[in-house]
Amino acid sequence: MNPWRRRHLAVSLSWLFCPSLTRAQDWNLDALMTQLASVKSARARFVEKRYFALLKRPVESMGVLHYQAPDRLEKVITKPRAERMLLEGDRLTLEADGGRRRKSLALSEMPELAALIGGLRATLAGETATLSRHFDIAFEGPAQRWQLTLSPKDRKIARLVKTLRIFGNAADLNAVEVIQGDGDRSMMMMVKDAG
Amino acid sequence: MPVSRRGAVALAIWLLMLVLCAVTIVRARFSADLSAFLPRSPTPAQQAMVEQLKDGVVSRLILVGLRDAEPAALSTLNKAMAAQLRTDPLFAAINNGEPEGLEADREFVYRHRYLLSDRVTASHFEVPALRVSLEQSLELLTSEAGLMAKSLVAADPTGEVLYLVERMTGGGGPALHDGVWASRDGQYSLLLAQTRAPGFDMDAQARAISALQSAFDAVREQVGVTAAIDLVGPGVFSVQTRDTIKRDAERFAMAASLIVALMLWAVFRSMKLLALGLLPVATGVAAGVSAVAVWHGEVHGITLGFGATLIGEAVDYAIYLFLQGGARSADGSSAMRRLWPTLWLGVLTSVFGYSALFLSDFPGLAQLGVFSIAGLIGAVLVTRFVLPALLPAGFAVTGIEGIGALIYRVLGKLRGLLAPLALLTGVCVALLLMRTESLWRDDMGGLSPIPTELQNLDGRLRAELGAPDVRHLVVVTAADAEAGLRLVESVVQHLEEARAGGVIGGFDTPTRYLPSQAAQRARQAALPAPDELQGSLREAMSDLPFEPEAFDTFLGDVEQARQQQVIDRAALDGTRLALRYDSLIVQRPSRWFAMLPLNQVSDLAALDKVLKPVIGPQVNVLDLKHEIEALYRVYREEAVWMATLGAVAIVALLAVSLRSVKRALVVCAPLAMAVVLTVSMLLWRQEYLTIFHLVGLLLVVAVGSNYALFFERGLDREDQAPRTALSLLTANLTTMVGFGLLGFSSIPVLSAIGSTVGIGALLSLLCAAALAREFDSTRKSHA
Repeated sequence: MNPWRRRHLAVSLSWLFCPSLTRAQDWNLDALMTQLASVKSARARFVEKRYFALLKRPVESMGVLHYQAPDRLEKVITKPRAERMLLEGDRLTLEADGGRRRKSLALSEMPELAALIGGLRATLAGETATLSRHFDIAFEGPAQRWQLTLSPKDRKIARLVKTLRIFGNAADLNAVEVIQGDGDRSMMMMVKDAG
Repeated sequence: MPVSRRGAVALAIWLLMLVLCAVTIVRARFSADLSAFLPRSPTPAQQAMVEQLKDGVVSRLILVGLRDAEPAALSTLNKAMAAQLRTDPLFAAINNGEPEGLEADREFVYRHRYLLSDRVTASHFEVPALRVSLEQSLELLTSEAGLMAKSLVAADPTGEVLYLVERMTGGGGPALHDGVWASRDGQYSLLLAQTRAPGFDMDAQARAISALQSAFDAVREQVGVTAAIDLVGPGVFSVQTRDTIKRDAERFAMAASLIVALMLWAVFRSMKLLALGLLPVATGVAAGVSAVAVWHGEVHGITLGFGATLIGEAVDYAIYLFLQGGARSADGSSAMRRLWPTLWLGVLTSVFGYSALFLSDFPGLAQLGVFSIAGLIGAVLVTRFVLPALLPAGFAVTGIEGIGALIYRVLGKLRGLLAPLALLTGVCVALLLMRTESLWRDDMGGLSPIPTELQNLDGRLRAELGAPDVRHLVVVTAADAEAGLRLVESVVQHLEEARAGGVIGGFDTPTRYLPSQAAQRARQAALPAPDELQGSLREAMSDLPFEPEAFDTFLGDVEQARQQQVIDRAALDGTRLALRYDSLIVQRPSRWFAMLPLNQVSDLAALDKVLKPVIGPQVNVLDLKHEIEALYRVYREEAVWMATLGAVAIVALLAVSLRSVKRALVVCAPLAMAVVLTVSMLLWRQEYLTIFHLVGLLLVVAVGSNYALFFERGLDREDQAPRTALSLLTANLTTMVGFGLLGFSSIPVLSAIGSTVGIGALLSLLCAAALAREFDSTRKSHA
């Protein structure tokens, strides 16, 4: 079994042996958001699988995610090709080909991307107000296995990005799932990287 | 006062002529188009180019730059301005990088991609090439930008749309900040406004400019940011030039009139004489303007500005009459009779001088010539026939004997300066002969009244917006659009070669936006039939993860492209690409031109070599700067030749009239000195001369000859020395005022002529005095 699955399994199984790590009745969305907001920076390794209607097989990519409160999110892809996506405030920069191809744009110009990446960033920063402004929020689960389902309020965006689902354990994010309006979807699994 | 019968007739004719002039002037058209001061372009291609620059699509573009604030604030202002201006009917399009209005462009490129793309050949759709295309599409799909590229990949796996877009934006285009165009250093936020009205409609351009300004002021208040706006472009420059010319014409005409009137008042001390003295001037100006209106059809603003000089010169005749006539005459006509021969000869030399203008190849200069000749002849005829009839019997300007005598003595003192002046002249001649570099400068830059900073800003904003600097062009001529586009395509093949070889940086061509119908049909023929394409696709897809039906849209689109009608210019309507295409071609009734601007030409010789197979009567490479300088050089050389002929003609005229070559030379000597000294002074001030300085020198000879003639005749005839001296100085001063004021004009044409003649007229008087023999006897008698 590959290292990622092993770790994921370990995390999930560990929950079985620690049933009372948090007081279930105090755990809700606000508690989660407060806990997330207290994290000033985080780093995680990820494996992403993307499913396209056009393609027979899912596309896999691997890399590292860096987060810096409150609005810096960097995705460095190492496999299958070296690429980089950086969000700083409202500015999104896409780099490919070792920096030779570079595109910089304002996130406010691309509502679909803003929904995806913005939703993820707002979650990491614990910004309840921002999230509820753009998404309908559904929250479930105990602290160790919570699930946040975000559905874009704007109908035009909802046509492209149907749901954004984030899974986590306390202040650590474990997975992000995106379901697109045309049925394509992606699943990104993350493991915290202490290094 | 009793008016003789002859006088009555003269008055009647004069009033009639004035009425005719008034009617002509009221119906005349006035223009401020600077191209009248460009030499007439000899080749049809250059003519088409100038026409295109004047009223073509490019002349309708106003470049807007917003600055002096944070880039983010500038972007906000930019977007707000654009939103407001898009509702204004004065503008056909407002572009600032926002996608507004680009939908039509994208739709056009997408719909016709297989007809537009020059990559469409049979081999492009065979298995090996298809495979490469599919691999690239896969890479795009799986990259972070994949979300946005998804739909395009299904319909366009060979990537024609992206390829075409990159070619059309020149592989870059303006930088974007927050979704709107910005300069690379972030200093400027940029907009491109296209007016509905053509560039030569200056009133409409002026309205568009003020609409831009008020939109900016409104959004600035709305957003609450301090910022500044810069507007550049052909329309902006035309309006500015027009305003400058108008302002100068009004200002100098008024100033000259005022100063001259004051001077005459100071000398005549009589309102009646002042009024009478201004009659020849008024008539002269009216005659000049009507002559131009009749001959040319319209009067240029610069000609009116030049009218200030006529005020200074035409008033001379009245001055001579009033001052040199006087105590000894019973009425004006006898004074006139004595004065007439000298006066008439003076007019003739001036007319000869201005004739050189008239014969030049600059339409604008020809106007100045017509204006001045008509004006001077009108003024002198009024002085000859009308003024004597109107002058009261026994008129005399009194109380001037004292100052007149003083002036005469001072002029006499100048005789003592003969030796130093002659020496100075000799030195100047030697320096001029020793000068190794050319006297002349032939480039256009010195002739535009637009300040250099503004011209530089235009260049910079144009570069930022990705519009090529129009200096190097390939011009292709044909009988019609289809033949022309085909010829352009064959030229483009060689230009691609030149680009690949680094000889040029890039180029733009109309075939990028609308290929020839022949090329489109060839591409249609190259597209494979549906079965064939499906087979190749299946094979190319073999071990790639695409679903079998992934490219059904693509198959459908290719088949449609195979069957569809070829596109023509009408297909471009509603897109911005239409503007690009239209700005590259000129359509005349039986001729079609394409202009292919080239970027970064590093080696013209190598370019000529690469293009050699196609260069011919229909295909030419032009270096605009070089062409225009060459034109100016030709005309300037011609002007030197004409000026020399003009000078010779004046000498001949003098010789014939004075009935002695020796006397003619005596008159010409001070003029020659004055010319040498004037040229030296001008060179000392600004190191080179232009063709308009040459024009000024000819006028110095023409104007200065009047003084030289009086000195040759002898001031002291009939003991009139003080009066004659005073009249000469006054006449000289009024001429200097008229021309000298022009020296301050911001229009290079006028300031060159003005400063030359202003300096030259004074020097002519001084040199004439220094060379005047009559002062020898006076000095001896005073010694």
